[in-house]
Amino acid sequence: MSDATNIGSKAEKRIAVLFLAPALLLLIIFRLIPLGWGFGMSFTDANNAGTARWVGADNYLRAVNDPTFQDSVANTVILLATMPMMVMLPMLLAILIHQGVPGGKFFRAVYFLPAVLSSVIVGAIFNVVLRYDGSLNEFLAVFGFDAVDWLGSSSTALGALIAVQLWSTFGMSVLIFMAGLTTVPEDIIEAARIDGARFWQRLWFIVIPSLRPIIEFVAVVTTVGLLTNMFGLVYVLTGGGPGTATTLPEFLIWLEQGKLNRPGYAAALSMFLFVMMAGVAYAQIRIMKRNAEV
Amino acid sequence: MSNLTLKNLKKSYGAVEVIKGVDLAITPGEFVVFVGPSGCGKSTLLRMIAGLEVVTSGTIEIADRDVTQLEPYDRGIAMVFQSYALYPHMTVAENMGFALRLAGHAKPERRKAVEEAARILQIGHLLDRKPAQLSGGQRQRVAIGRSIVRQPDVFLFDEPLSNLDAELRVQTRIEIARLHQTLDTTMIYVTHDQTEAMTLADRIVVLRGGIIEQVGAPTDLYDDPDNAFVAGFIGSPAMNFLPCVAASANEVTVAGLTIALPQLQTQLRQGESMKMGIRPEHLNGTNGPSVAMKIDVVEQLGATAFVHGMLGGDLPLLVEARAMRPKAGDMINVPFDPQHVFLFDANGDRIR
Ligand SMILES: Nc1ncnc2c1ncn2[C@@H]1O[C@H](COP(=O)(O)OP(=O)(O)O)[C@@H](O)[C@H]1O
Ligand SMILES: [Mg+2]
Repeated sequence: MSDATNIGSKAEKRIAVLFLAPALLLLIIFRLIPLGWGFGMSFTDANNAGTARWVGADNYLRAVNDPTFQDSVANTVILLATMPMMVMLPMLLAILIHQGVPGGKFFRAVYFLPAVLSSVIVGAIFNVVLRYDGSLNEFLAVFGFDAVDWLGSSSTALGALIAVQLWSTFGMSVLIFMAGLTTVPEDIIEAARIDGARFWQRLWFIVIPSLRPIIEFVAVVTTVGLLTNMFGLVYVLTGGGPGTATTLPEFLIWLEQGKLNRPGYAAALSMFLFVMMAGVAYAQIRIMKRNAEV
Repeated sequence: MSNLTLKNLKKSYGAVEVIKGVDLAITPGEFVVFVGPSGCGKSTLLRMIAGLEVVTSGTIEIADRDVTQLEPYDRGIAMVFQSYALYPHMTVAENMGFALRLAGHAKPERRKAVEEAARILQIGHLLDRKPAQLSGGQRQRVAIGRSIVRQPDVFLFDEPLSNLDAELRVQTRIEIARLHQTLDTTMIYVTHDQTEAMTLADRIVVLRGGIIEQVGAPTDLYDDPDNAFVAGFIGSPAMNFLPCVAASANEVTVAGLTIALPQLQTQLRQGESMKMGIRPEHLNGTNGPSVAMKIDVVEQLGATAFVHGMLGGDLPLLVEARAMRPKAGDMINVPFDPQHVFLFDANGDRIR
């Protein structure tokens, strides 16, 4: 690390600072200052009328005892628990495509397509697919299954939402894994073949360990996506319901801040989300640092 | 009995045929070297034997079993790659024991086999390191160790020394020879370096453009090449080739000098154009016919010197001079023994 900072003359370093300054400035104005501001606001009963009173840690205490917030955290935990699947599935697909399945390029393109659609469009599509008289139920009826209100029943709504999120993001992960797979040397796979490794053993003992940095990267990106990019889907598909079945912290913050006119309380919830995110970011930095050392 | 038999083996990539019908029988314990210029198909042939390349036609038998369609791991072979191909996330011991682990051997048994191989290769102190913490030579040993542990019927080496520096290359070459003596297992070794081929092989297979040019013991290829390609490829520095014309049934004229070749069994047709080959080390006789050469460049090695010069102004000739200290610009007489002269026809085939 210290080597890297010693490269270049003083003049070059000044230029580097010059180029980095705007980004830093934007970061301070649009990220750090609002963060501090929100932190301050989380100790007030601010509302959108503009009055604010200091209430100490009241908002935090309320949040901890707020069943809706508790549910949203529980939902987040469920969401995060699906993360391994959201990493493994694209990895396996990428490996199969890389193996040279006929039409692999076609699959790759098809998988990637959803990744370029906005969550509102994805939501609109799946509204049609998943609603009670939607195409999924029509399809299942062919096999004699009863219709299920996928988005309207609390037992399936979160699962449906997770499935849609998976559908709309895994193409990107497939692409990242495909890129990673091209860096796995062919000769060590051949050596493993000679050593007696069958297809699945080659995956398990050689390919997957070689992909470890990629797996960690995709895991971080997926986690960040789950924590911050679900809003659009929730908004379009379920509105957080039924009840609190699909209410996520992000959505709740938006509700509290806008709809329920409690920016102070929303700010306190944001602080919780921020701490969660900071934990992920910390893990991410640790992982990337360790990979850089290998 | 034969340990490995190739029958009319062919391989095409699309419309391009790169192995054009190879027949070869290798006896148990033999050290066979495939040698030839880059791109002649040595690696492809080796990889076909290993089962890493699909065979287009022909058969491969190992230990009297047709393995043409078998997976690599069912063929009883082990391979050492040019790039070593060590598993980067495993320690040396794990690398070496991987095949046994896959075969379901218990850990203590694996450890014993690994330690035994490590002892032979003197890498016992490296067993707990990762490949990234090893030097090139050490990685090479580990790669060889990994192949030993499996106790294969046939060892395959694909240019295993080409990533080592010159000194290490010579050392490792000797060690591979020693290993062959110790293990007494069939080894097939691919190289483009004729010195490696000469020093290691029981038998050399010279390949060019996907076909075998000649098979034989190193000294056979050196003393009695079948064609100009083999004659030029085997031996270092390479053989001199000079255009010549038949002067009678057993005499040729080269650079104005007519020499008798009593060893010829063939009757030459007078006036036929041919190529004459003679090795640089055979151009330092003391009597016999001689040609006069003007020296261009001298590569002085002390014990010997490689003298580059011109015959009659336009025929380049390389002479290995042992007992003299020639200088550039000098004219010297180069006597030679006609016994060492090879004749080749217009196609490059040997005239015996
Ligand atoms: N995968 C491949 N696809 C097409 N041509 C190939 C492939 N592998 C090797 N070749 C061709 O086959 C020939 C022999 O290659 P190779 O066996 O690697 O030669 P060598 O090892 O003797 O240098 C070369 O002309 C090479 O271009
Ligand atoms: Mg090769």
